[in-house]
Amino acid sequence: MSKEKEKAAQDQSRKGGNGKGAAAPVGAVMVVGGGVAGIQASLDLANSGFYVHLVEAKPAIGGVMAQLDKTFPTNDCSMCILSPKLVECGRHLNIEILAPAEVQSISGEPGNFKVQVAQPARYIDLEKCIGCGLCAEKCPQKVPDEFNQGLAMRKSAYVLYPQAVPQKYAIEKETCIYFRKGGKCKACEKFCPADAVDFEQKDQVRELEVGAVIMTPGFQTFDPAKYSSYHYAQFPNVVTSLEFERILSASGPFAGHLVRPSKDRKEPKKIAWLQCVGSRDVKTHSYCSAVCCMYAIKEAVIAKEHAPYDLDVAIFFMDMRTFGKDFEQYYNRAKDEQGVRFIRSRIHTIDAAPNDDLLITYLDESGEKKSEIFDMVVMSVGMEVSRKAKQLAQTLGVDINQHDFVNTTPFAPVDASKPGIYACGAMQGPKDIPESVMQASAAAGAVSATLGEVRWTKTKVRETPPQKDIRPEDQPRIGVFVCNCGINIGGIVDVPGLRDYAASLPNVVYTTDNLFTCSQDTQGQITKIIEEENLNRVVVAACTPITHEALFRETMIDAGLNKYLFEMANIRNQDSWVHMKEPEKATEKAKDLLRMAVARASLLKPLVEKPLTINQRALVIGGGVAGMNAALNLGDQGFETIILEKEDQLGGNARRVHHTIEGQEVQGYLEDLIEKVGNHPKLQILTGALVVGFSGYKGNFTTEVLVGPAMYERKIDHGVTVVATGGREYRPREFSYGEHPRIMTQLELGDFLHEHPEEAAKWQRVTFIQCVGSRNKENPNCSRICCQGAVKYALQLKGLNPEMDVMTLYRDMRTYGFLEDYYRESREKGVLFSRYKLEDPPQVEVDGDQLSVTFVDHVLERPIKMPVDAVILSAAALPNDTEELASLVKIPRNAAGFFIEAHAKLRPVDFASEGIFLCGMAHSPKLISESIAQSMAAASRAGAFLADTTQTISGVTAYVSPERCAACLVCVRSCPYHVPQITGDNVSEINPALCQGCGTCASECPAEVIQVSHFEDDQIAAKIKTLY
Amino acid sequence: MIKAIPKPIEEIIENVKDCDKLLIAGCDGCVTVCEAGGLKEAKILASALRLYFTQGGKQAQVDDTSLTRQCEKEYLAQLSDRIDQYDAVVSLACGCGVQYLAEMYDKKVIYPGVDTCFMGVNEERGLYSERCQACGRCILAETGGICPIARCSKRMLNGPCGGSDKGKCEVSKDVPCGWELIYERLKTVGQLDRFENPTVPKDWTTSRDGGPRKIVREDLRI
Repeated sequence: MSKEKEKAAQDQSRKGGNGKGAAAPVGAVMVVGGGVAGIQASLDLANSGFYVHLVEAKPAIGGVMAQLDKTFPTNDCSMCILSPKLVECGRHLNIEILAPAEVQSISGEPGNFKVQVAQPARYIDLEKCIGCGLCAEKCPQKVPDEFNQGLAMRKSAYVLYPQAVPQKYAIEKETCIYFRKGGKCKACEKFCPADAVDFEQKDQVRELEVGAVIMTPGFQTFDPAKYSSYHYAQFPNVVTSLEFERILSASGPFAGHLVRPSKDRKEPKKIAWLQCVGSRDVKTHSYCSAVCCMYAIKEAVIAKEHAPYDLDVAIFFMDMRTFGKDFEQYYNRAKDEQGVRFIRSRIHTIDAAPNDDLLITYLDESGEKKSEIFDMVVMSVGMEVSRKAKQLAQTLGVDINQHDFVNTTPFAPVDASKPGIYACGAMQGPKDIPESVMQASAAAGAVSATLGEVRWTKTKVRETPPQKDIRPEDQPRIGVFVCNCGINIGGIVDVPGLRDYAASLPNVVYTTDNLFTCSQDTQGQITKIIEEENLNRVVVAACTPITHEALFRETMIDAGLNKYLFEMANIRNQDSWVHMKEPEKATEKAKDLLRMAVARASLLKPLVEKPLTINQRALVIGGGVAGMNAALNLGDQGFETIILEKEDQLGGNARRVHHTIEGQEVQGYLEDLIEKVGNHPKLQILTGALVVGFSGYKGNFTTEVLVGPAMYERKIDHGVTVVATGGREYRPREFSYGEHPRIMTQLELGDFLHEHPEEAAKWQRVTFIQCVGSRNKENPNCSRICCQGAVKYALQLKGLNPEMDVMTLYRDMRTYGFLEDYYRESREKGVLFSRYKLEDPPQVEVDGDQLSVTFVDHVLERPIKMPVDAVILSAAALPNDTEELASLVKIPRNAAGFFIEAHAKLRPVDFASEGIFLCGMAHSPKLISESIAQSMAAASRAGAFLADTTQTISGVTAYVSPERCAACLVCVRSCPYHVPQITGDNVSEINPALCQGCGTCASECPAEVIQVSHFEDDQIAAKIKTLY
Repeated sequence: MIKAIPKPIEEIIENVKDCDKLLIAGCDGCVTVCEAGGLKEAKILASALRLYFTQGGKQAQVDDTSLTRQCEKEYLAQLSDRIDQYDAVVSLACGCGVQYLAEMYDKKVIYPGVDTCFMGVNEERGLYSERCQACGRCILAETGGICPIARCSKRMLNGPCGGSDKGKCEVSKDVPCGWELIYERLKTVGQLDRFENPTVPKDWTTSRDGGPRKIVREDLRI
């Protein structure tokens, strides 16, 4: 977006879009794309008070992340961490999922868009479908399963994947026999127990009014068939990385058993990964796809874990680009401990070998030709924009770049070229999951900043009857509802027998069985029965509480019962599914499970969820680009925000960066930003400010600050905290730094080029040395930004004097994403790149005024000494010293001193302690554009927290019976959230507003004086006692 | 506080294997804090013994409780109405508590359930170290607040000895030399001149050398 446009859009947003004659903005938002980014943006917006229409092209949300097996660098199961977000999205009162659906057209202005959305018929009524799967079971038409990358078959009546949200089936018109053969078949309709199949359904177009649109259609993987010499289409054992994810997945085509796809289904003994397939190649995509190095390492490591034998794995690569937070250590472990072979070579051809094996011929680093036979070869395919996503950009009228990704600018990383339309995730540029999640939150933040005044105008509120007063002394009256789950349970377990058995259990006054206890009409029945039978406890024997407890709890609330008076017995996942071959024993086990649930239900107590009071003020610690952007966004959202800056002026590191690699002027931007922050009516800036005390909990923090220059003390009450303490450039101790004025760091070079360009233009030869203070024993982290920095300055030097020799001594060039284009440009302009090894670093010699550099050429394998005019050290990016702050605020840091987020993948800007967020270099090294996105994300998350004034404190919290407390500090020391404290009375106290209910303290307390409500000892013991 | 560690279960089983009715008595004092003998440990030991008896095909009754402090008669009295029903009691209190329990219920068999180790500090959770040997005449004022009796392996009053090597004691590389600590501490607080006045021989009668000790505080006695 141009600066003028940006300013106009923001000015408009401050006025709330109420320009002359303009209608009030609409408090609803459309999110196009239901991958992890779209899900995150939707949740942030819905929790911030906006109604969200989430438009997804497939019949279920989840995107590519749902297809992945594990995620780097923590090896978390992808589905396990995504599933709770899917469920939350699916159940959110203020998120409407339209799937499958596509945007057809858009009209109107920012704040008041009208969007036409086409919804093809699903042929299954969403309201009626109970997700039992009978339609798919009975459907006679098999088709390739695209979710499993065509490695398995599914039916024409299908659900996208087992955990899909919505958990509803669809009939694929293109393959369905009924549609192809003119009215025959209808097997699904015949067998559907819920009467949900509707062949008369018509395609629909809906017009939706929204205030803003976030587009995040994601990416598709590059089709390697385009490289004919790889024979992907011909050789069965050449697979893409996404196919390999499915092969590894427990829900994949081979149920997680590592076998190759050729007919022999052999367990592979040797697997190769080929990097940069469809990336870093001007014939296909010149950009770097940014994620393939890490996923290849992850797949290699996980494949070795899967194989019960010594699997040989080799990764053929050009540069190993493990540039993200904690990625380098992951790479080092794979290389040094887990036996993954890394071979630096780009492979040209895959040849056939006997028995469907594959021959790879390559030149090793010394230039020697080698051949190896592999059982399988995985193509590390890159990311590209799909035809449909490109079409979406055209439909919405936003500019795309030369690679078809949505065009954004470094200083407005989520603003598409058209005001009111935002882009995030892989459609904005190749990126991994946490970056996508950050950008998604940033886009939500950008929307909140412009639509803040119309929060809660389009949202729905659940009406609930008053709660009945159930006292502990009241005799329990338990109703038991046993679910058949279609045939899932009823086909194995004797459900009528179980229902009658339930009637014999203590305190049970009512029993019944349902075909589907979770169906909408059953909820109505349960409510009615609770009333008629005067029930005060409910037990449902069905599936898992993970997916269904929340639903039944809502039914309890609708019936006027406290939601904690509910208990489930999982007789499906833990019984009928696993014991389907032994129905009698399964029935016996179901009785045990039900008896246990009833025993606990009798002891359940109603719990009160107290409303959380939230101070509406935000505090941002750090006044650099990240801190200021976070504050500005919060201010624009309408929240009073205080910025604390320890220096006497705002700006941080950005003061020393003059332009971005794209050529954007940083100082102009910074001045503008400081002015905006300074003039903002909601913002207050305290410079020379030092945090000396911190107390309180989410929504109610108090920070004590010493404010310079007089160092007066000030107490600030606030509801959220954003930590943006930034980073610094490492002061090298190596390469004779400090011994000569022209041995300088990148930041020093930047200043020098700014102040004395004419001096620099006279230089004849300059050498950059990469990884100074990074990727070594002392600091194993990659600093991420120095490779692009070297390229940026090399280009600048070439611009000053095209004859200048510029040599970059590097270990791996990590110009990820579109940065690769600048790396290529620099080579085209004659910048030389030579690789050195950690154990054989270049030597810098100072001889009086003269400088020289000696390095080993990796082709000649001989040392080369050259005189140079300047040596530029690409020094590491380190965090600022935050030891004291970390201990005051009780937020964790890693070994390098960067703060540790709540979850590396899905909560990249949250701390585990609620109400505290982080952004910028305090999190890990990053570019200005990335810092801005992350700071907007932090502001979005913080704003969502402040906006949601309906939050309550969970009833499931730990409490102390102080009489026997020994004040031993065990709870204080073992709580992962640092909640328990010893009071002035020498007993432990646990603040329920802070307690996460994890139960660690209760299980560790040596005096046994801590209990967790709803999981009290007697409630758990009752289950165990009744079992034996 | 007093530091103790749980006894190996085998040792406890050896003592109680013939009992039919057992009480495990924790103590809410020091042994709770060092996680050796609080109610939680009492319950764990009781569960473990029940498992042992059940596996051996024996129906034994093992109950658990925890007393406020087993070094007080008033709190030991909490057991008076129920102790008769048990064949024996395993006390998880320190040696003082075990003995006082045995003293109070002189016909009852009492077994110790923990090994009482020393008076010390909690450095971290699960890491305790000795600081005081209760010699009866505190000399910490002279030694920079670091006790040579507790911290020097030889209890030397004028150290260090020739076995001190790079700040470590010859007894073990993991043991800091007490006198090195004293030296460093006195240096920090500017009292190195104390080394010029050797400590005179100590009167050990207030320690164990004078036999079992007793405090009579006439000012407090009622």
